[in-house]
Amino acid sequence: MSEAASTSCVVRSGQPDYRRRARLARFGRAVSIFLGSLVLLAYVLAPVAWLVSSSLQTEKEIVSVPPHWIPEEPTARNFQAIFSAGEEQVTYETRKTTDASSGGYIPPTAKNLLPAMRNSFLVATIVVILNLLVGTPAAYAMSKIRYWGRDASMYFLLMTRVVPDIALVVPFFLVIRKLGLLDSIWSLVITYLAVTVPFTVFILLQYFDGLPDELDKAARVDGCSRFQALTKVFLPLAMPSLVAVVLFAFLTSWNEFLFALMFTQTVHSQTLPILVASFTSDFTISFSFINAAGVVAIVPPIIVAVVFERHIVSGLTAGAVKG
Amino acid sequence: MSTFDATAGRSGAAKRRFGYEERSALLFLLPVMTVLMAVAVFPILYSLYLSFFDVKLTRPNRTPFVWFDNYIDVFETPLFWTSVLRTVSFTVISVAAVTVIALLVSLLLNEKFRGRRLLSTVLLIPWAIPYVADALMWKWIYDSGYGALNGLLHQLGFIDKYVVWLGDQNKTIWLIANAFVWKEVPLAAILLLVTLKAIPEDLYQAAKVDGATVWRRFIHITLPSMRPGFMLVLVYETMVAIRHFDLFFVLTEGGPGDASHTLSWHIYVETFRSLSFGAGAAMSYILALITFALAYFIIRTVGRVN
Repeated sequence: MSEAASTSCVVRSGQPDYRRRARLARFGRAVSIFLGSLVLLAYVLAPVAWLVSSSLQTEKEIVSVPPHWIPEEPTARNFQAIFSAGEEQVTYETRKTTDASSGGYIPPTAKNLLPAMRNSFLVATIVVILNLLVGTPAAYAMSKIRYWGRDASMYFLLMTRVVPDIALVVPFFLVIRKLGLLDSIWSLVITYLAVTVPFTVFILLQYFDGLPDELDKAARVDGCSRFQALTKVFLPLAMPSLVAVVLFAFLTSWNEFLFALMFTQTVHSQTLPILVASFTSDFTISFSFINAAGVVAIVPPIIVAVVFERHIVSGLTAGAVKG
Repeated sequence: MSTFDATAGRSGAAKRRFGYEERSALLFLLPVMTVLMAVAVFPILYSLYLSFFDVKLTRPNRTPFVWFDNYIDVFETPLFWTSVLRTVSFTVISVAAVTVIALLVSLLLNEKFRGRRLLSTVLLIPWAIPYVADALMWKWIYDSGYGALNGLLHQLGFIDKYVVWLGDQNKTIWLIANAFVWKEVPLAAILLLVTLKAIPEDLYQAAKVDGATVWRRFIHITLPSMRPGFMLVLVYETMVAIRHFDLFFVLTEGGPGDASHTLSWHIYVETFRSLSFGAGAAMSYILALITFALAYFIIRTVGRVN
């Protein structure tokens, strides 16, 4: 340390020298930031770009060697097949006519993609609503009411997330079978609640803790009941964390795979990930179609992530600061 | 605490255990407790109970109580030990790579430059998409006939002919780990970035005045200050990696051979292909215990030393 300090003092004509060095350092910093950003962008975007590019290629183009990085004759054929599959019956005979160049292998299950998307949306929406209904009062109570057993309820919440999901599959399966809910979206709503509710309470709890206790007291002095204090005073203030909760519950439900794999069987309840995964194990299906299905599955979460970036980051880091 | 006493006194409740506060809290907590009792606590206990019985769906009417036989059987199965080995290598590779890459990314995003916000938004994409889509994407990239990895390496002249990437037992775990790391880096980077931002600027100024080089400032200020962030990332990523299932299901189904036969895959096969629910439940509890022990170990070693 002292060496570095002394050299800059010893050099008599040091002004231009350390200035040059400072300029060099600034240049080096700019270059490394630029290169770092470039590498990061490529790392994150290249795989996704390749997925999108493949989804727009014809059957003939996608099996070219070397691969065409950018489709030469882009086609929306795969997406048409997904979004208009209802009217169109894809059979062994007709699929040959759909893509003249090769006989594009679009599976007959393509028509299940839209219902699967609807199931995914329904499940996610119901889970979000139930999370808010159940989570907000709990977080309010744990943050603003000084009751006996407050710490215990915190540990209780934590404990429910310690056991791996795969351990819960069997008991869930038996219970859901007994309730006759197999192959119903309600089986997923029930299981996703178990996964999301503790997390929801934690995000909200963190936020309520940041709001002054005096607010609660003031509201109560003014004649509000606890319930009114929550709905009229705290909820409007807690909007950012409520948005975070909505996003998390939505994305978790949209992306979940293991439980959906176990409890859904048909188009009545299959969610998007299940259908997409079933395509990947079928070797007769066109790669470009599978990739199109993949694109359909990633577009909604990406939109959510990009639009609500700020809320997501604040939600992700809610517990991290104290951590 | 003082608030508690004041209100308790006002409502005149002599019984501190269940006064006015407790009653209103109970009302607010009732929904959450009911839901969690039904959808979390009950399944957890039920699966623990199952692990002591020999439950097979192929033989639904006879489910004898077998004490710890399920647990003992698990340890006597060679494939179980293989799966432990695979899980360990997957977890170690993934967590190490996630932590290192996330550290680099967080250092980059901690700098102030034009386009930083755009970059951090783009970074959220892998985090947001489903694991199934992540798996599908990498499966197509690794494809032996027409995949991007083969195409790129061939065009650049690194390989002479196309490679069956996922068919190579020595590479499988690494390739799956890569798909895992790609999706986990954003969250880890964001968590590390929070602790980076919390480091007071004065520390750096003081070190600069003392003539500390960039490298020394990094080693002596940045890294030690990030300890809470590292702990969080290590605990979280270890827990996620050790239980991971989706990628193994879509990419390899435990293969080739048993090259990616991890513990979670083993539990899945045992439970839903052999339909031995008792054995599956027993293994799940072993996995839960391992996870818990590891998390505890990391918190004790990384978290406490100061």
